[in-house]
Amino acid sequence: MIAPIEATGLGKRFGRTWALRDCSVRVPAGKIAGLVGPNGAGKTTFLHLAAGLLRPSNGEISVFGRSPQAQLLLLLDRVGFVAQDTPLYSGFSVADMLRFGEKLNRRWDQAAAEARLRTLDIPFDRRISHLSGGQRSQVALALALGKHPELLLLDEPVARLDPLARREFMQRLAEAVAEEGSTVLLSSHVMADLERVCDYLIIIAAGQVQVAGDIDALLASHHLLVGPRLDNDGRLNGTVVIKAQHTERQSSLWIRGRVPGLGPGWREEPLPLEEVVITYLSAPQAGTLPRPELEEGAS
Amino acid sequence: MTWVTWRQHRLEAFWALLFVSLLAGCIGYVALQLAIASSHCGPTVGFGYCLSGDPFGQLARSILRFNLFTYGLVVLPALAGAFIGAPLVAREIENGTQHLAWTQGVTRMRWLLVKLFLILVPLLAAAALVGYLEVVLLNVQGPQINRWDVFDQQAPVVPAATLFALALGVAFGAVIGRSVPAMAATLVTFVIVRVGIAELVRSHYLPPLLNTTQDLSAVGSQADPTAWWLGFPDYYDSTGHLLGNLLGPGAGQPSYVTQYFQPGDRFWAFETIEAAILTGLALLILGVAVYWVTRRTT
Repeated sequence: MIAPIEATGLGKRFGRTWALRDCSVRVPAGKIAGLVGPNGAGKTTFLHLAAGLLRPSNGEISVFGRSPQAQLLLLLDRVGFVAQDTPLYSGFSVADMLRFGEKLNRRWDQAAAEARLRTLDIPFDRRISHLSGGQRSQVALALALGKHPELLLLDEPVARLDPLARREFMQRLAEAVAEEGSTVLLSSHVMADLERVCDYLIIIAAGQVQVAGDIDALLASHHLLVGPRLDNDGRLNGTVVIKAQHTERQSSLWIRGRVPGLGPGWREEPLPLEEVVITYLSAPQAGTLPRPELEEGAS
Repeated sequence: MTWVTWRQHRLEAFWALLFVSLLAGCIGYVALQLAIASSHCGPTVGFGYCLSGDPFGQLARSILRFNLFTYGLVVLPALAGAFIGAPLVAREIENGTQHLAWTQGVTRMRWLLVKLFLILVPLLAAAALVGYLEVVLLNVQGPQINRWDVFDQQAPVVPAATLFALALGVAFGAVIGRSVPAMAATLVTFVIVRVGIAELVRSHYLPPLLNTTQDLSAVGSQADPTAWWLGFPDYYDSTGHLLGNLLGPGAGQPSYVTQYFQPGDRFWAFETIEAAILTGLALLILGVAVYWVTRRTT
């Protein structure tokens, strides 16, 4: 099956700075994938490359097997995009915004878009500039969903929303996607947003993909081991240690892959998803360590 | 796209319609009043001296005194470029809405070309109309007004200048990506190019002719009021020695005078050449704008 998004050696340079470098990643069909990383990590660049708004400097990106640059027209109907800060025309009314979607898309489901906003009690005659942040992003989502996209790209859609509106947005998104069966790639720098709806995670830092995989597999393959202080700089035979911390008496090792036979005094502690992500984000070089088996199981 | 363009630019359309109807109304009105007046006062109609004293004539006289069309026809194209052309792409980029517009079912190229077409066609038609009305007005006023003095305000040049200003605005907006700097750049460039063409280029469209006469009182527009007299007259004495541009005590005894000029029958050729130059520049700049928008790294 053709992957909704597949990037190989993808790089994007702005002037002398690389916003994204040697990025190879595959977003599997039917998943809600989270793209997580700190600000400036290259998330927006990646999404813009996938949406055909940017051209890669290096490598390739394909969306449903087609180039979002050379064959954009074939993809525009199939890909929905919600840009950062959910831009809308502030002088338009909500109804105008939907009409905008209707006029500019060959594939458009006006009834579905209206129904979506009606259930949220968003008045159609209100100007966009008079909507709350939450309502605004719901309109942007309705606009992107109106063409029944097979792939939906969202760039930090909830970054400016309060926690309640965040929750509501994510919930609506999850419901809509469950109905449509489309693939979603959603970026955020807030783990809690992603954990609620995503089943796949791509961790990106300093312009490079650190880890990509099913969240279940990510959790199953990362462990925190705590035991007596190690003298050998925290090396365990045959184990990939992505991070090690030593106190006077105790060593903590974040490892990837199978848990080795533990010596006396060692125990395994639960490692929540957020902790896994933070480990990669705080040690960007960890991503270049040998990959664990989880990649095979994930794709 | 048609509806979207209308919805986004209907305010500009309103202002453009308002200004154009005001200008066209004034020109038409004064032309009408002058035509009425010309029936009883003949050749002096050009300066509106004999407009009737009734309120209608008074109104026409005050419009004429403020030179509304002379300025309006030069300024309005620049304003169109700055206020309609420059924000066309720049405002989208400023608000981030280009990410919305360019990810719908329409490519950037189509998005821009349709918008340009729908905005340029009515504006150019309006500019052509007011430029034509000015020609009508000048025809009513007869030979007293030298056409070359109001070269920039007549039919082919007005729409060409409008196209040029709009092209500048769109291109600066697309390249700079912010409305206000793009507006400033448009105005400055427009003024520099138009003044540059008028002062340095225009007189060279066709090689000027040299008028030589021994009738020292028939100099410049005294000799031919329909011609464009270039530079200053050169006075010579009987030996062919150049005395200078001015006559006065101690300047010697002039015998004949020469001056370069463009004859009046070349006027429409010059209008056409200048319109062609401005249109050519405009198309070139629009090409840059289209290329930039399709290539722009958002």
